[in-house]
Amino acid sequence: MKSHPVRQIGFLTLAALCAVASAAFARPQTKAPTPASAKAAAPAANPNFVKAIGNPNAPITMEVFGDFQCPACRGFFEGTVKQVIDDYVIPGKVYIIHRDFPLDMHPYARQAARLANAAAEFGQFEAIERALYDHQEEWSTKGNIDEVMASYFPPAQFKKFQAFESQHISEINASIERDRAMGMQRNVNQTPTIYITAHGKTEALPGGGVDYKLLKSYFDYLLRQ
Amino acid sequence: MATTAIPSETSPRTAAWPAALLVMGRVALGLIFLYAAYAKLHFEGEWHLRDYHFFFAMAIDSYKMLPISAVQLMARVLPWFELALGALLIAGVAVRWIGSITSGLLLVSIGAMTRAKILGLEINCGCFGNNEKLGTATLIRDSSLLVLALAVTIGAFLIRKGQNKVSS
Repeated sequence: MKSHPVRQIGFLTLAALCAVASAAFARPQTKAPTPASAKAAAPAANPNFVKAIGNPNAPITMEVFGDFQCPACRGFFEGTVKQVIDDYVIPGKVYIIHRDFPLDMHPYARQAARLANAAAEFGQFEAIERALYDHQEEWSTKGNIDEVMASYFPPAQFKKFQAFESQHISEINASIERDRAMGMQRNVNQTPTIYITAHGKTEALPGGGVDYKLLKSYFDYLLRQ
Repeated sequence: MATTAIPSETSPRTAAWPAALLVMGRVALGLIFLYAAYAKLHFEGEWHLRDYHFFFAMAIDSYKMLPISAVQLMARVLPWFELALGALLIAGVAVRWIGSITSGLLLVSIGAMTRAKILGLEINCGCFGNNEKLGTATLIRDSSLLVLALAVTIGAFLIRKGQNKVSS
């Protein structure tokens, strides 16, 4: 009997918290564009090294800080990104930007990134990204990237990638470093790290990749706004 | 002739300090749970009351333990559940039962985190916000919280037992 007033106070506190929570849910939120988000949605500093898929004017931009030799990046690409391309990029709803974030623990990640940058210059970023991730196991142990990738592109085209890479190696390396520096500035500490920009606002998703169904429900929510 | 007063076992002074420790423990635990809920609802400098569950669901799903429907339900409910636990602990309501539930919740979380570490999953903890990497430090911290929750629960049961003895 003694504890009744204490219990009443407790239940009143809980009721008040629930009321505050439901009021907050009911209140529509306003989302003001921020300068940080505008910066994130903007194209790369050097437009010649943009690795992107889709329409830049799409309502949603998904930036992926990735490493072509990272198994989690491969898992995210195979399980989520491919479906995002089919369901959201092709209809013009999502624009995907790849940012190079080669990790030091992966000895061939930079080499793969250089080839991807070269292929991107010929409008073949999506194709090289697919080939690198689809066949990651074939090249990631020995580093025989050119040998493996050559079989997935017409020889003349692949030679152009290689020639461009060797002629512009310093610019390509600088582009990779720019992406890395951008990631460090945004506290990227694992790959893949994903940023979503929509309605002038950029949000970081929990690192390590996201299930397609969860990402889809978030995209659908953003598109309904 | 002077007499020396021998303090009895039930003197107010000796009976008060375990209760005071219990209050400190449950308030500390309650505040930590309130912060855990706050960190899931307020991040990147603003409240996310309408979309917090998308981010938290992604963090829960990274543990690869539950089907997506269960992940989505948990993501919606858990922050509010933590808020309620924190508030009830601070208010001192049904401390034995709320302490037991809190200990259970922490035990399940630590189990999931340990499993993720054993499997080598490079994921975020999802404990205090969505972008806190799971590591040994997070495991030690959450284990300390479990010790605190167990101490509060056991303390509450012991104090209640003592009160029952006195009244009988």
